[in-house]
Amino acid sequence: MAAISPQHTFEGDLSVQPMVISSGNMLSCVEPDYKAFIPGNSLRRMSRILKIGLTTALRCLQDSGIETPGAIVTGTGKGSLQDTEKFIKEILDYKETALNPTPFIQSTYNAVNGLIALQQKCTQYNNTFVHRGFSFENALLDSMLLLHEGKENVLAGAFEEITAEHFYIKSRVGQWKSEDISNDTLYQHFSPGTISGEGAAFFVLGPEATANTYAELAGLKMLYKPSQEKLAASLQTFLQSHEEIDMVLTGRNADINYDRYYQVVDQQLSGIPQLPFKHLCGEYDTAGAFALWLGAQLLKTQQLPLQWFPMQHQTPAKLRNILIYNNFFGEQHVFMLLKGI
Amino acid sequence: MAERVFITGMGMITAIGDDVAGNLRSLRSQQSGLGFTSHLDTIYKTILPVAEVKYTTQQLSEMAGVAGIDGYTRTTLLGLIAMREALAQAGITDVQQEPTGFINASTVGGMCDTENVYFDIVDPEKTGDFLKFIDTLDCADCTQRIADTVGITEHIATISTACSSSANALMYGARLIRAGLTRRVICGGTEALTRFTLNGFNSLKNIDKRPCRPFDQQRNGLNLGEGAAYMVLESESLVRENNSKVIAELSGYANTNEAFHPTSPSPEGDGAFAAMRDALAMSGRTIADVQYVNVHGTATLSNDVSEGKALQRLFGTTVPPFSSTKPFTGHTLAAAGAIEAIYSVLAIQNELVFPNLNFTEGMEELYITPETQLKEGYPVHHVISNSFGFGGNNASLMISKYEG
Repeated sequence: MAAISPQHTFEGDLSVQPMVISSGNMLSCVEPDYKAFIPGNSLRRMSRILKIGLTTALRCLQDSGIETPGAIVTGTGKGSLQDTEKFIKEILDYKETALNPTPFIQSTYNAVNGLIALQQKCTQYNNTFVHRGFSFENALLDSMLLLHEGKENVLAGAFEEITAEHFYIKSRVGQWKSEDISNDTLYQHFSPGTISGEGAAFFVLGPEATANTYAELAGLKMLYKPSQEKLAASLQTFLQSHEEIDMVLTGRNADINYDRYYQVVDQQLSGIPQLPFKHLCGEYDTAGAFALWLGAQLLKTQQLPLQWFPMQHQTPAKLRNILIYNNFFGEQHVFMLLKGI
Repeated sequence: MAERVFITGMGMITAIGDDVAGNLRSLRSQQSGLGFTSHLDTIYKTILPVAEVKYTTQQLSEMAGVAGIDGYTRTTLLGLIAMREALAQAGITDVQQEPTGFINASTVGGMCDTENVYFDIVDPEKTGDFLKFIDTLDCADCTQRIADTVGITEHIATISTACSSSANALMYGARLIRAGLTRRVICGGTEALTRFTLNGFNSLKNIDKRPCRPFDQQRNGLNLGEGAAYMVLESESLVRENNSKVIAELSGYANTNEAFHPTSPSPEGDGAFAAMRDALAMSGRTIADVQYVNVHGTATLSNDVSEGKALQRLFGTTVPPFSSTKPFTGHTLAAAGAIEAIYSVLAIQNELVFPNLNFTEGMEELYITPETQLKEGYPVHHVISNSFGFGGNNASLMISKYEG
């Protein structure tokens, strides 16, 4: 697996990486040097999220030792915002004439998938989901179906970017906090809205554990606009077939508008340590992919990078089963169960 | 043994008809939907033909039964009209009686409406009614609006793989059924004409100023269209349990990638060939069983060579009748796969092969030519329907007559 995020997640030992702290309520990725992954002449033409997505995918394949995966399945809520914005503007500025097609091509949501397939010569199954807080999770479900149908491995991932323009647009519907905060103090600012983020995370999934395996994805459940009662009941059902949960990775984001859903999980799983992650990556459609990456990392290393979690008072005694719960502005709710190997 | 997947309902709206019956009438009478736009604000209004649904967005909101309610984009309304017909045809009055999923497809979401207010949205000096379109910027908006309006609360997803999007939606739905995760799922796609896509394809020099001529030596690109189409898919056990009327079977499908170029297919049609071959193999049939291929046939220079080569490679000297219905509907992008899947069912139900309009001269690269006349009384048991797109995304569906 691999991740590019607003933290130093792309390479090296997490335990020595400091938390990246920024203000302005908009977290941006720490971008690596792409030249190690993408030839220079391709790189010049590619917009930012294409570079981020493709590089994360390629690093993930390197990490797994698999060059050409059996399928490529991704999720993205917004695709390349930069290209979409650029093409809309150029249509206006150039009065619909003599337009450069590149931003149009790169704005298509499956552009990153096409590039990965092209670069790795993967001619098999290829799909892209574009459904807000279910984008990555449907990609995971599709991947699990593929493994069930007999694929040997699947490259699954998610990518998302935020631009200054889109940050402004979403501020107009109250998605972000009106007070300017620093991400490390997110949970001290319980108020309407949250902080925005972005990132990419990719995973090679296989039907059986190997020596390189990080973790097992033992359960996945999506719930669309559930009532609090339905959320509680679904969590009960979800956990019934599994052993005890050692820790909850929670998508809690200090947004007073949707905190009631996180309270449902508090009530159902009181006494179980919870670890929030949105101060690290911010809120975005596919933040669930960051949570999965983080959870799998924790299970593999059996270590919390404590400098990333200054708010953490309760460290779990053991780390074997992690429940991830996340929701995207109260509409798409997801449970994932991760197990150590 | 995985369950078979049956089609029990269909709904659609395109430039050639407000419903499935209307589409069939126009196909039979060889009535193309191509013309000039009356709704799109573009300098190409009288230059580039499009296949536009003839109603205003206001009229569509009345047809969809949501007149006067805010926030429905043209994309959503087209989808909602098709969805309501599909539900009605499947005899579903309460969608919650049986847990029902919804897999939608979209290439640019509500762009049709947002592109007209985008510069107001990003201008801090401006405020007003347009702010309600902020949520419609993405592809999930139309899916959720449609789901919420008809009461779907179970599994939902939106797929965007360019021009193969709704074929992939049908495939994903069928796979959810075969894996036993759901017994009923509604799949398809919706697409409204936008200045964004018109200029996008035009900047690629992919749009013909004349009505498109698929598989013709003189072809010079595609025409865009708009529309929506959905199919209700049910598992065999649910069909037996409810005694549902089966319209046809989705007996095979395949998704492959060209891995060749961001916007062009491989010249020998490797991906198209593999997609058709695999869909056919999955259905357990052979090339001799296929009576009709509803080709992707966009009439772009590269698609038709690539797809034609793939047909020749798969079928050799026995290529069945094939045609592109894009000269009727235009290229409806995310909706095209589902629209053409319904046309494939109509071919089976009515023993028809639809003509490939505007064809006069065979391509020098191919020894095959499309069907140019309406073939009636022609028994069709199995149809392959192709949808190929940017990013090298190929999808083929095998649709079969229901024979118990």
